[in-house]
Amino acid sequence: MPTLETIEVAGETDINTLPDFTSEKYKDAYSRINAIVIEGEKEAYDNYLSIGTLIPEKADELKKLAIMELKHMKGFTACGKNLGVKADMPFAKEFFSPLHGNFQKAFEKGDLTTCFLIQAILIEAFAISAYHVYIRVADPFARKITENVVKDEYLHLNYGQEWLKANLSSCKEELIKANKANLPLIKSMLDQVADDAHSLDMDKEELMEEFMIAYQDSLLEIGMDSREIARMALAALV
Amino acid sequence: MFGLIGHSTSFNEARKKAMDLGYDHIAEGDLDVWCSAPPQLVEHVKVESATGKTIEGAYIDSCFVPEMLGRFKTARRKVLNAMELAQKKGISITALGGFTSIIFENFKLLQNKQVRNTTLDWERFTTGNTHTAWVIARQLEINAPKLGIELSKARVAVVGATGDIGSAVCRWLSQRTGVGELLLVARQQEPLKELQESLQGGEILGLESALSQADVVVWVASLPKKLEIDKSNIRRPCLMIDGGYPKNLDEKFAGSGIHVLKGGIVEFFKDIGWNMMEIAEMEIPQRQMFACFAEAMLLEFENCHTNFSWGRNNITLEKMDFIGEASVRHGFSVLSLQTDMKASLA
Repeated sequence: MPTLETIEVAGETDINTLPDFTSEKYKDAYSRINAIVIEGEKEAYDNYLSIGTLIPEKADELKKLAIMELKHMKGFTACGKNLGVKADMPFAKEFFSPLHGNFQKAFEKGDLTTCFLIQAILIEAFAISAYHVYIRVADPFARKITENVVKDEYLHLNYGQEWLKANLSSCKEELIKANKANLPLIKSMLDQVADDAHSLDMDKEELMEEFMIAYQDSLLEIGMDSREIARMALAALV
Repeated sequence: MFGLIGHSTSFNEARKKAMDLGYDHIAEGDLDVWCSAPPQLVEHVKVESATGKTIEGAYIDSCFVPEMLGRFKTARRKVLNAMELAQKKGISITALGGFTSIIFENFKLLQNKQVRNTTLDWERFTTGNTHTAWVIARQLEINAPKLGIELSKARVAVVGATGDIGSAVCRWLSQRTGVGELLLVARQQEPLKELQESLQGGEILGLESALSQADVVVWVASLPKKLEIDKSNIRRPCLMIDGGYPKNLDEKFAGSGIHVLKGGIVEFFKDIGWNMMEIAEMEIPQRQMFACFAEAMLLEFENCHTNFSWGRNNITLEKMDFIGEASVRHGFSVLSLQTDMKASLA
């Protein structure tokens, strides 16, 4: 059993140092991470507009959300420019393609449950968690932009949550099924960027934990109980 | 509502408990999975005081296990995330149990008020140290005479004397109990001298010489793993109160005239319908608990929603009086040798 002495040694680690934003290694990793963020916001814009066509009476509200995402995209584009980094957009497109494909399939079938799960739960929780971790290690310019984005993202998470909550009795099975198909994609996306994220001082362990917190919170909000969530989360591990 | 933040005593225990509770996804995971696991509110409980007042509470498992102590960032996140969850759930007063308050103090988490979109409100948390200190002092007062140790003549060593709990116990013993002599042991000399001055008494000694002279030893520091003590130098009878965390004095010292009592543990007057104290390895998990947890309950019973025990060396005798009086009134008693005697004589 570890003792107090071990804690004191571990406690000496300084957690307040920021990475060197000008190093080649940082910029190289940033070109992919920044592209993912930009692409993610772009996909969110498209996805909310698509969802709007499935619920015409909510189309205006969803359009507002979509426009917000576009604003975020511009903010993050500026973050890359500020560091003199060119975002690797082809990489990001490829990165999102499995999830994008699943969203498109669901959209074509008019399957709102899966659309909301992918966009409003999984992608939003992934984004919020990554932004929270990033804020602590970002350059001052990006930090400010990201802080503002996070506030907006909670609104989006809520929007999807509200719909799923209101429709839970009819969509629960579908939700669990959709989760099983899509949560593993999030896990593998996280694995793919773990090294680049590490170059930005973002730990995979922390990213995963932040994601699980946001994911768990939103499923609790929808009305799932903690054991159901535990079973759903299992899909991320296999 | 009161809250308790706790954790399992080892990774293996944690996995077993998670499996029992139906959290298979965490139970099956390796340590890395646990490092990424969010805190869980695992149990709601109702507690009725001896006065008839009923309160509600919740147990939060931080998903921390002692194997994570070497991972500074992980341990820090576990504590802050559990505290955030307690606050998000609207819990008025939450006790930081086990390693939680130790990590909070040693990693200086006071500077981490912001957790995601939650600003932690320290008023909602208590280390529970005031009640722990009072309980340890009472355990000494009740149990030393049972072994034939006369308090007014007894030499009492406090190991970890300068800590939050240790210094409070010293103040109580010198001003309230009136023990024969206080032997002050701690690693750092400067705070020891300051303590001695504030107590206007007490002898500063090294661990070995203190142990060889003491009739009673109060341990409120964790036991260094490599520490080798020659048991033959210890006086008989000797009462050792194990007030540190984790509690591991028993295996080192117990037997032939050395009586080890688990320190800082209280017993409620009736069963509480909860499951979570099993993970703290209490002998009677339906009734026994750490005094720090009981402090959160007492503060809730008393409608005293404030960080009653907070920071270092803020525990006054008046605060100990207040919490001790509440402890007795609401139906808690301190753990005594009767139940422990069998174990130590075995």
